[in-house]
Amino acid sequence: MARHRNGSSDFETSRPARRWLRVLLALLIAPTVLLLIFALYLMQRFGGDEPVVYADAEEHFKYGSTGGEHESGFPYWIFQVMPKVCAEHLPGPGYQSVGMIFEEGKDLPVGMSMRRYQGIDRTFLNCAVCHTSTVRDTPQSKPKLYTAMPANTFNIMAFQRFFFACGKDPKFSKEYVIPEVRALLKQRGEDLDLIDRYVVYPVALWLMRERLLMLAGRFAWTDKQHDWGPGRVDTFNAAKVLFNFPLDKLPEHEQNAASDFPSIWYQGPRKGMQLHWDGNNTLVEERNKSAAFGTGTTPPTLDVAAIARIENWLVTKEAPKYPYAIDQDKAQRGAPLYKEYCAACHGAGARDFSGEYVGKVTPIEEIRTDRHRLDSYSLDLAVNQSTLYAGYPWRFTHFRKTFGYANMPLDGVWLRAPYLHNGSVPTLRDLLEPASKRPAIFYRGYDVYDSAKVGFVTDVAEEGGRKYFKYDVKVPGNGNAGHEGKRFGTDLSADDKEALVEYLKTF
Amino acid sequence: MDNAQRVAQRRRKIFAWIGVIVVLVAFGAWFGWYKFFREEPQPDWVFASPDMRFKYGSIGAENDAGVPYWIFYVMPRMFPEKLPGSGGLASLGAAWEQGQELPVGFTKKTIGFPRVANNCAVCHTVSYRTKANENPTFVTAGPGHTNVEGYFRYVIDCAKDPRFNADNLMREINLVTDLSFVDRMIYRFLLIPITKKRLLEREQQFKWIYRPDFPDWGRGRDDAMNLTKYFMIKVPMDDTFGPTDMPSIWNLGKYHPEKGQTLNWAGDSHDPRSVVIDSALGLLGAAPHNKDDFLGQVQWLLDYLGSKPPPKFPFPVDEKKATQGKAVFDQICAACHASEKTGTRLPLSAVNTDRGRLDSWNKQAAIEANKVVTAMGIERKGLVEETLGGYNAVYLDGIWLRAPYLHNGSVPTLRDMLKPAADRPKVFWRGYDLYDPVDVGFVSQGPEAQRIGTRLDVTTKSGSNEGHEFGIDLSTKEKDALLEYLKTL
Repeated sequence: MARHRNGSSDFETSRPARRWLRVLLALLIAPTVLLLIFALYLMQRFGGDEPVVYADAEEHFKYGSTGGEHESGFPYWIFQVMPKVCAEHLPGPGYQSVGMIFEEGKDLPVGMSMRRYQGIDRTFLNCAVCHTSTVRDTPQSKPKLYTAMPANTFNIMAFQRFFFACGKDPKFSKEYVIPEVRALLKQRGEDLDLIDRYVVYPVALWLMRERLLMLAGRFAWTDKQHDWGPGRVDTFNAAKVLFNFPLDKLPEHEQNAASDFPSIWYQGPRKGMQLHWDGNNTLVEERNKSAAFGTGTTPPTLDVAAIARIENWLVTKEAPKYPYAIDQDKAQRGAPLYKEYCAACHGAGARDFSGEYVGKVTPIEEIRTDRHRLDSYSLDLAVNQSTLYAGYPWRFTHFRKTFGYANMPLDGVWLRAPYLHNGSVPTLRDLLEPASKRPAIFYRGYDVYDSAKVGFVTDVAEEGGRKYFKYDVKVPGNGNAGHEGKRFGTDLSADDKEALVEYLKTF
Repeated sequence: MDNAQRVAQRRRKIFAWIGVIVVLVAFGAWFGWYKFFREEPQPDWVFASPDMRFKYGSIGAENDAGVPYWIFYVMPRMFPEKLPGSGGLASLGAAWEQGQELPVGFTKKTIGFPRVANNCAVCHTVSYRTKANENPTFVTAGPGHTNVEGYFRYVIDCAKDPRFNADNLMREINLVTDLSFVDRMIYRFLLIPITKKRLLEREQQFKWIYRPDFPDWGRGRDDAMNLTKYFMIKVPMDDTFGPTDMPSIWNLGKYHPEKGQTLNWAGDSHDPRSVVIDSALGLLGAAPHNKDDFLGQVQWLLDYLGSKPPPKFPFPVDEKKATQGKAVFDQICAACHASEKTGTRLPLSAVNTDRGRLDSWNKQAAIEANKVVTAMGIERKGLVEETLGGYNAVYLDGIWLRAPYLHNGSVPTLRDMLKPAADRPKVFWRGYDLYDPVDVGFVSQGPEAQRIGTRLDVTTKSGSNEGHEFGIDLSTKEKDALLEYLKTL
């Protein structure tokens, strides 16, 4: 129409030129617009970095992200189908078989978080995986969950072995994994779209496999270590992996240093104490960021706000009260014994951590407990840790080689069994016996409580098809000696020991 | 009128364009200066005390010898197999204080971008422990236990590795820090390729440290004069090998050049100032970027080291025995080690220690090296332009911490020094820092010494433990007394 209205003398000559111009413009603009739309779509699909967030601090602790999914995250759906694809590499059905805890109505175990990053839902570990567990009153009872307690049932060695083995398995490929993912999605009335099916998931699988093979190589040294069993990890040899130390050259005395997961509640009054079993750091925040490496974070990807939220929550979160009956008279008789024998090193009371030696290191020559964990922490590692977080205001400056084990406050000690840093003594009552009378073999990872001896029941090898870990104190790193003799209360009368144990239930 | 306006308009346009170009060029220049040459002073903690400054203060080596910080940072993680053991840079036996980002003698300074280089402390800070269950005590100006040759090889081996490329390094760097886009580009396209090139350029000069027919320097030793020959005056490689112990450099005020005293194992240098300048130039790897600043640093070092006292023996000393030992010392040792002769050269035939170190240097090299330094516009007394026929009789201040002994560090303890060469240990391990107060020296045998230390076999090239067989006929009681006295020096 416009053309006609424009009619003029040069109409005839200009028409073809204009048409060409228009065609040219259309040819230029159309693809540009299309490209723009496509780019916007890609940005919308693959941009974004959204963790699943929780309003409640305890939920955040259990399922919130520390930032580890960025660098280390498993694609969520691949994680969900792996127990099926690689069933033979797990001790039993599902992640429950390595001692992970599933709460009702949750698809992820406690201690795993989710984040959508680069267009794919990812999941990885958070603090709760090693610091939350369950307790049952009897084998028939429903498990009760306690956050911030040591993850007594979680076998992190079996967990990592499963991933390394599955990553090496020929079945860890798109032929096996993608159909399983689609089958799982179909149960929810969903499906992978074409981009996910043919691009995102195949690439994700390939990347995940590369990463698992790399990690399997870096953790190959664990194959030559005695099994940690549930509730334990070789913390500082794992820390050496971060620096890619050639662990095949690790001297004998630094090996086999599995130690118990600690409880992490009530950090406020612990500030300034020598933290970790050997007391190698006195700064709570540094200790936390160090542990966060275990949740897959790197300095640039650590979610500082999320960690701070957990940190703050733990400052005041108190240990849970002992849920069973306490013989108050007996406990009263135990109180002075505690004051006489324990208080100077372990604190004046359940929430009063004053005491001359509390939070300080007792030399190995005095405490005489198994020295593997102490020796695994070398001066070479300590100085290397000073390079962590270089360029950030919170670069690590507090790691120190020590020569003994730190004296811990005993709040919530009833949930912290088995005892000593390597979890070599099953109950508090056993700890009051000299090493020669402590159990030489027992089972770990079971969550039924033994309120008579204060600790978990440790004579169950198997229940409902699930096998528990046979702990042998003769295995290197598992020694149950030390913390014994007159000053440690092992010479008390049986009656006094009973009273002291009863008193400790009140902590 | 119309024309004049047009001309004026055009002129304005031209000026506007010139203005734009000037602004762009100025910004480019500023950007280039900011990203590559801007010097930022080191943080205050470095200058908190003279000891701290000696350990971590820059002497200007970052300009030409500085490695970009993040490359330096990720190298041990990417190439752990090129280090002697498990433990990153710590496996080189560098003195490394807990809580510090870098080992002693490694300096971090921003010149455009953060860089890492070295200062004197890398070879002249020593650690010792009085018992196994103890963290080390560090003594500045003491003879270091670092495996210097291991470090040189490590750096070159990393640069030679095909994995040393921008893709791999950037991947590791992005795991540990959050660089801006611009800095990533600078690292990827400039710093990584340039660093690789610069490190590889040194390979030719370092050829002799890879010779299979030469033993390793091991911890606490360097082939000092060959370093000077191949790097300062760039002569072709010869067959000489003169490994020597890192010397202590405390208490430099004791030297009296005006009385004819000279420095270095063979009395190669005229005065402390020349030694400090020449050693520092070795660390800089080039003429100083700023001569006045450099000479200021040298003067500070001379002041610091001039009055730095030797450390006290950290175990109890039996004073009575030490007094008896003084008499033995006066009779046997004083003529050379506490007399006019001290700090002067003795003919080799008088002492008969290993001659490898003497052969690694010559008069012509001294002349050439002096020319190089003079050409930099630096005035100093310099190296002795003579053929040197023996080693200096050394002062014995702080001798307890200067083990192993003799110029090539071939005798582990002072007690071994008092034995005939045939009875001295033939194989021992250097660099383990647990102290042995009985034999006076470091523990040099046993599983831990073997694990941490480096092996020295005295039958290997230039490693002979012969000579200086003085006091070997003393009675055990006299030797004990003498050792007790030596602890007090």
